[in-house]
Amino acid sequence: MPFWRRKDSAALVFLVSGAVWMVVGTFAGLASAIHLVAPDFFANIAWLQFGRVRAAHTGSVLLGFVTAMLIGGAFYILPRVLGTKLYSEPMGNLAALFFNAGVLIGDVALLGGLSQGREYAEYIWPADVLIVIAFLLLSINFITTIIRREEPLLYVSAWYFVGAIIWTSVVYPVGNVMWHPDTGSQSGIIDAIFLWFYGHNILGLLVTPLAVGIGYYMVPRIARAPLYSQMLGIIGFWTLLAFYTHIGAHHLIQAPIPTWLKTVSVIDSFAMMLPVATVLINWWYTARGRFSKFLVNPAAKFLLVGSIWYAITCVQGPVHSLASVQRVTHFNNWVVGHSHIAVLGFTGFIALAGMYYVLPGITGRRIYSEKLVNVQYWLVLVGLIGFFVVLSAAGLIQGQAWLNGATVYRVIPELKAYMVLRLVSGLPIIAGAIIGLYNVIMTLFRGELIES
Amino acid sequence: MRKSDSIIIIGSLMVVFAATLAVVYWPVFTIPNRPSDLWRPLTDLEERGRRLYIANGCTNCHSQYIRPQDWGIGAERISQAGDYYNQRPHLLGSERTGPDLAQEGGEHSDDWHIAHFINPRFTSPRSLMPRFAYEGMDNIKALVAYVQSLGGDDADARMEIQRRFHKEAVAAYERGPDENVKWLHSRVPKTWRAMPSESPATEASVARGEKIYQDFCIGCHGPVGDGNGPAAEHLYPPPLNFTILRRHLVDGKYIGGILYYQIMNGITGTAMPYFKKHLESAKIWDVGNYIMVNFINWRDDQLPTEGIPASYEGKEAAPVSEQPQPGPTEPGRGGAR
Ligand code: HEC
Ligand code: HEC
Ligand code: HEM
Ligand code: HEM
Repeated sequence: MPFWRRKDSAALVFLVSGAVWMVVGTFAGLASAIHLVAPDFFANIAWLQFGRVRAAHTGSVLLGFVTAMLIGGAFYILPRVLGTKLYSEPMGNLAALFFNAGVLIGDVALLGGLSQGREYAEYIWPADVLIVIAFLLLSINFITTIIRREEPLLYVSAWYFVGAIIWTSVVYPVGNVMWHPDTGSQSGIIDAIFLWFYGHNILGLLVTPLAVGIGYYMVPRIARAPLYSQMLGIIGFWTLLAFYTHIGAHHLIQAPIPTWLKTVSVIDSFAMMLPVATVLINWWYTARGRFSKFLVNPAAKFLLVGSIWYAITCVQGPVHSLASVQRVTHFNNWVVGHSHIAVLGFTGFIALAGMYYVLPGITGRRIYSEKLVNVQYWLVLVGLIGFFVVLSAAGLIQGQAWLNGATVYRVIPELKAYMVLRLVSGLPIIAGAIIGLYNVIMTLFRGELIES
Repeated sequence: MRKSDSIIIIGSLMVVFAATLAVVYWPVFTIPNRPSDLWRPLTDLEERGRRLYIANGCTNCHSQYIRPQDWGIGAERISQAGDYYNQRPHLLGSERTGPDLAQEGGEHSDDWHIAHFINPRFTSPRSLMPRFAYEGMDNIKALVAYVQSLGGDDADARMEIQRRFHKEAVAAYERGPDENVKWLHSRVPKTWRAMPSESPATEASVARGEKIYQDFCIGCHGPVGDGNGPAAEHLYPPPLNFTILRRHLVDGKYIGGILYYQIMNGITGTAMPYFKKHLESAKIWDVGNYIMVNFINWRDDQLPTEGIPASYEGKEAAPVSEQPQPGPTEPGRGGAR
């Protein structure tokens, strides 16, 4: 049987490509971080210029690493919770091919100076097309799998997976304004509204529900306890959808957009605490009294800590959507700190959790080295805590200084130490990424076979 | 398809569509789409520069909107929706690693920008901006045209002033160094000319001045104040050689007031930027003292002034009769008496 027809081959391709992109993406982050410490380090190397390599960094980690790895987990989990098999493995592999080709072409184009210049939607049109095709294929695959299931009840994980994929099939082309292939944009201030509709929903309607879906699968299994409440899961699903879709404008609180839009986005940012709370309460109550089970299993550790980062992110998020708080926090490293704990801490950790959890099921082999998973866990965790502390502090310094009337240029020298510390904190994360990739590859070929 | 499935699939998609209509399409139809008072279309060259701005990801470091609270960057004109009329894509940006550029046009002269794009450390020694020399001179000129257009009609008005004084500055420079300084000083109001440094050139003051000089001026005026910093080859007129100012002391003794005035306001039409947004007044006096003591080899800070000394100046500002007469200082020994 050719590889692409094999059971769980699509899941495997997505997971492995995610692990590869994690390495690529963190190196792009490293190049950006080096630049902010020593701007002449890569002097006059066009493709390593900060503005280009930073966009490649966000593209690779957000889509290439986190999204792909989460989709990989979803591919494995979806059929399991439905008690059926995946509708089509070849179609899943094709989606993986389109998706990765899209990210690769998008990244290479960015480094070569082809960009649409809209944050998180920088990819040029051909890359967008490939990615949208991938999402349409995923939608067909997931929906058909659901329809053909035997299990009468649809477990919450399946809700979230299907939701994430079909919503993104809408959000991605709309947010990227794909009907204008040349610029990929609307005109003027409207374009900012389109962009942040996309920019926020790619986080809130794609990686968030995928990560939540994986968590809903793993938590009861690891805790060996029934889910605390199916109902909470469903409430969380609908409220996530109802609130997240409206809050893109909280990225534009200080920009000249209509006031009602800002008001709606701030109110719904607070309302977002509801779906977040449903998830966390549900997981933590399921695990109550059984947390020790999470500490002995490396995959579960990633999950548990991911849920804690989710809590921190989503307390920080509503607070810094307030106009009075944004006076200090907007435009500076504070937001970069939030981004890293959100995308790496919450969704990235859960993506890794999912990968290590399902990999043995896919390959029939134990993880090559649990010890290395632990090492990776600590490396990434320590680095990320460093990021959060350092970037939040740097952000407050910038924000307060500007508010006191200091020019941007005057504050640059004060950031030096923080930018160095950020670079240093990034190194363990990169080491973690490399170790992770090594471990995955070794598992594929050298992992101890599981006796069935 | 089971009923619960269709609720999830169709129901949730309907929510997404409804939200899209409400928070994306509703604004499309309700936000008035008209240009603001200062909006103008870009020329072809400026448009080319804009493409380069996008290609190089300048938005990752530069925002293009001024908020009411931005008084540090001189928030004279708060950005309005109409400023972005017809821009595809918008370039509002979400981070300020570098300064906001919404009103950048005319803030600096063209040659400042050229030197800056070739290597930002030339004009701004502490800058974190990447070098753009790899774009080649042709593209750099397009980038300059674009950044000089930012701010629309307001930018054009500033550019008008830049061009007018640029002609004068070039003409003066071409008349020779001494004529040039005369022209420079003719632009300083009278009261400022016959004014000594209002802040004593103590050792501490000169040391502070040195730090400021290194953070702001060294790339143009050079480490020894002769105007031969690395930026110089891209600037016309080139940065001033401070040492010749010794020949141009006002009434044979004053220079502090001129230095202060020129540093504060810059010399429009040339690459010399104004520093009043970056530096508070005490810092401007300090860097002026540094230049005076180290490069002009002269100090006027002990001359009588008409003002009342600040209390912290203490003995330094004691009655004139008790003080030594002004005179040359030993080069390199900042503030030593
Ligand atoms: C790494 C972030 C970074 C990138 C990328 C970047 N800049 Fe800058 N830019 C800065 C910083 C920091 C400053 C302030 C110090 C200085 O004057 O160089 C600055 C200053 C400027 C200024 C002068 C503003 C003023 O009046 O003081 C202009 C104009 C400018 N940048 C244009 C650009 C353009 C055009 C691009 C893209 C081709 C670009 N920048 C890319 C960081 C960046
Ligand atoms: C981008 C280059 C540049 C930078 C940076 C710069 N200057 Fe200048 N400066 C010039 C140029 C060019 C002139 C002379 C213009 C002319 O000759 O018409 C000048 C002239 C001056 C003058 C005029 C002296 C007089 O007698 O009228 C003073 C004073 C001065 N600079 C001080 C400073 C100080 C202090 C700093 C740093 C805080 C500084 N400059 C930074 C380019 C620069
Ligand atoms: C309740 C939940 C959340 C709220 C209310 C919230 C709120 C915000 C706000 C207001 C900003 C803009 C800050 C500014 O520009 O000043 C922001 C930025 C950001 N958020 Fe969140 N957030 C939440 C959760 C998340 C999650 C779960 C993720 C990722 C999975 C995430 C990722 C990001 C990223 C990447 C940015 C940076 C955008 C940029 O580049 O400007 N957030 N968030
Ligand atoms: C896989 C893990 C990572 C993820 C998911 C991630 C995600 C992100 C995101 C979403 C942003 C955009 C921030 C914003 O616009 O607000 C960003 C920016 C950035 N990241 Fe990462 N990142 C990761 C790892 C790293 C590493 C290892 C480094 C460096 C050592 C790094 C350095 C940077 C830098 C320098 C920026 C630009 C910040 C700026 O513009 O000031 N990142 N990252």
